[in-house]
Amino acid sequence: MLLLAIRRVMLRSAAAVAAAAFILPVLVLPVSAAEPAKLVDTVAVEVIEIVKTKTGADRQASIRRVLKTNFDLPYMARAALGTHWNQASEAQRARFLAAVETAEARAYSDRFGQYAGQTLAVGKVTPRPNGISVVDSLLNQTNGQPIKLQWEVRDTPGGPRITDVKVEGVSMVMTRRSDFNSYIQNHGGMVEPLIAELEARAAR
Amino acid sequence: MVVSLTKTIVHRMRHSVVVIAAAAAMVGGCASGDTGATEVWDPIETPNRFIFSLNRTVDIMAIRPMAVIYRDWVPEPAQTSVRNLLDNLGEPVTAINEVVQGDASRAATTMARFLVNSTIGVVGLFDVATMLGLERTKEDAGKTIGMYAGVEPENGGFYLMLPGIGPSNARDGTGLMMDYLVDPFRILTFNLAIDWTVYQGARYGMNVIDYRSRTIFALDDLEKNSVDYYAALRSAYTQNRAELIRQKREKTDTKSELERRDNLALVR
Repeated sequence: MLLLAIRRVMLRSAAAVAAAAFILPVLVLPVSAAEPAKLVDTVAVEVIEIVKTKTGADRQASIRRVLKTNFDLPYMARAALGTHWNQASEAQRARFLAAVETAEARAYSDRFGQYAGQTLAVGKVTPRPNGISVVDSLLNQTNGQPIKLQWEVRDTPGGPRITDVKVEGVSMVMTRRSDFNSYIQNHGGMVEPLIAELEARAAR
Repeated sequence: MVVSLTKTIVHRMRHSVVVIAAAAAMVGGCASGDTGATEVWDPIETPNRFIFSLNRTVDIMAIRPMAVIYRDWVPEPAQTSVRNLLDNLGEPVTAINEVVQGDASRAATTMARFLVNSTIGVVGLFDVATMLGLERTKEDAGKTIGMYAGVEPENGGFYLMLPGIGPSNARDGTGLMMDYLVDPFRILTFNLAIDWTVYQGARYGMNVIDYRSRTIFALDDLEKNSVDYYAALRSAYTQNRAELIRQKREKTDTKSELERRDNLALVR
């Protein structure tokens, strides 16, 4: 009797596990595909709210906070430095990250400063084999053609984070990488002049 | 006689082989590694930077201020009309490219647009065709070459800074020349013995101001947020062109895929 009961319980749990194994991926997949899209949407809503209500230094600080919580800035900075990352010391890396963060915050608050009623329509999400999802979106303008924006979203331990934004095919990270690489090559292949330049710009 | 003829033929063939090789080198660009995707191939960087600094001087002193005035002071409808007019003059070249790209139906739509806008749209000042549902496309020979060249679209041959025009590369520079040669309006002005420098000058000038007025924000942003503006622009230009060509290829691939399926259905 007892044995039978145990057997029944075991069978049931096995069935449950089997069912879970079949059903769970189905349940999980749409969620993980929806998450990057949700992230992009949230960022757009947050940024539009900031641009509407705040100005000047206050706006820049708020944008910086949005960048820090939703963008994978260390990853982006590292990708922008490319192979030169390896020759940088720990102290240099920390200074570089801080300078790039300030530069990005300033750049984005400038860009969003031109806000004139545009809306962001998030489209299809394409998961890539390397763990990065590409979120397509269109920035609809009040006058003129819509602008094509693509967001790359990566899963991190702290949740999904944006790692790159492509405007009409132009990747922000790739452009920075080219820019930094050329600067380093024209300054004796050293990282120090670039960091000094970025810090000088950040202090301005 | 025969010998001399053979000699000529051999000579001609050699000549064409050289031309083809040169063209292939221009289109194929750097064969070593994946330079196209990460770093742009720029073997003539020093002269390019020199032209770039000249262009920038002219831009800062004359073109950008004019573009700003145009953007901020000319009424919006007038700007739209100028753009429509310039776009309309460009339609035949787009149609020719679409034919070469193997998209005859798209070329027909473009020509229909041209005819509608040139007549009902008052020589192209109003874009009536779009209201009628004929969508506008813009093609150039650079895109056409890029579509057929079997290399990744980031690889457009060596990077080239053109005086007065701006960033380009071997592929797009060749395309620009081809578009110029086949442009019916350029040929017409020759044949009608119109003072073509005035016409071409006016058209080119308007194109520059119109294009510059639309890129003020993007270029200012790029300049302000880069430590090496030349390198940043080189990268951005290459990526943007590659994106356009990639769209072109993907569309063609979908279409050919559909055609293949249609053929299968016919066989069945």
